[in-house]
Amino acid sequence: MIVTLLIRLLQMLVLIAFQVLVLNHVHFLGYATPMVYVAILLYLPWNANRVGTLFLSFVMGLVLDAFSNTPGLTAASMVFAGFIQPYLLHAMAPKDTVEDMVPTYRSMGKWNHVRYVMLIVLIQQVCYFLLECFSFYNYRELLLTFAGSYVITLVIVLALESFRNRNS
Amino acid sequence: MRDFFDRLSANAHWFVFLILEITCGYLLFQFNRYQGSVWFTQANALMGTVLDWEAKAIQYIHLADNNKKLTHENLVLQYNMEVMRDELTRLKKDSSYTEKVLAEFLQDVHLIPAQIINNSIRDKDNYMTINRGELDGVKPEMGVVSGTGVVGIVFQTTNHYSLIMPILHSKSSISCRLRDTDYFGYLKWRGGNPLQAYIDDIPRHAKFHVGDIVETSGYSNVFPAGIFVGRVAQIHNSDDGLSYQLEVQLSTDLSRLREVCVVAQENQIELDSLENQVY
Repeated sequence: MIVTLLIRLLQMLVLIAFQVLVLNHVHFLGYATPMVYVAILLYLPWNANRVGTLFLSFVMGLVLDAFSNTPGLTAASMVFAGFIQPYLLHAMAPKDTVEDMVPTYRSMGKWNHVRYVMLIVLIQQVCYFLLECFSFYNYRELLLTFAGSYVITLVIVLALESFRNRNS
Repeated sequence: MRDFFDRLSANAHWFVFLILEITCGYLLFQFNRYQGSVWFTQANALMGTVLDWEAKAIQYIHLADNNKKLTHENLVLQYNMEVMRDELTRLKKDSSYTEKVLAEFLQDVHLIPAQIINNSIRDKDNYMTINRGELDGVKPEMGVVSGTGVVGIVFQTTNHYSLIMPILHSKSSISCRLRDTDYFGYLKWRGGNPLQAYIDDIPRHAKFHVGDIVETSGYSNVFPAGIFVGRVAQIHNSDDGLSYQLEVQLSTDLSRLREVCVVAQENQIELDSLENQVY
């Protein structure tokens, strides 16, 4: 119990440091900024406590907001993604899965897992950009920024996932 | 009962989710300028229609009173016009010049009549809503006047409504001068009495008296010069003692105002962009 908590904390710290120190400074072609912190939701096992998940996403979002000076923006999108995540995992996990299954390529099946990652990142990103722009006035700009960030985030998250998979 | 609590704890994540999202929303609109301002105007556009109905109803009730006032005003104006006409015939020899100046003055100013549909005077930062918006030609930074004097400046607009920052706002600052002397300063309101505002930085050597007229200076290109603001009520020393601070009795009672006009100056945009180039 304590060990999982510590591991979770460590994962959070590493992701936040990576995001704040490196990725927040990336503005690829002026549009795309990778937001890899959403990967924390992918490490949660099948039987994770839902309330705990929500608080984890909230705290994570708040810390990141504090660094990027946008109180509530990241937190709102993370809480929403953290709310959807258990439903998504329960719907997509294989039928004969064990209670404490951690979603990886192996435990979920390759394409199933990629689909799972894509959906979670998509939910968080849609939420984030809708809140950030808050109107459809500049919808072309919005779409371009969203698509760019989504693709680049997805690439990095999938790379991290394959790395994790090899180690475990 | 037991069943109820079981169900409650099984769905606890729903409540936690709602509470956290509401917290996030509060943070988002409270501390982010952009989202906050979008929320502000959207809310006003929605409320606008309802407030419009309310304003119409109240106006109907006050119709008789307003009629009486208008008749009275008409009389005063007609009398004034007679006086002016006499004056003009006396100055007949350079009347062509007067006409030219008047035409030039009116060429780049036109007035958009509007009604106030929401108003507050109690807060530190008051706002008003009027029922004219972008489609009627109202743009941010335009001046708003009433028959009795200056009211405020347009702050934000939607298609059919605009938000006014009146004199009674802590950030409001209107460039004013003393009539005939041309000493100028900025009119500020400090809360409290809605008929009292202050002008700082009038130099020591300026000569003026209690009861002198304060009018707009025309420097800010929001208002044309010479619009009535109020009268000097008291003369104080400024905090550092280097200049005078005037207490101004405002001529416009914002707490009972219904009809206003937005001052649209044709060349305001040109002027603004010119000044932006310099500063």
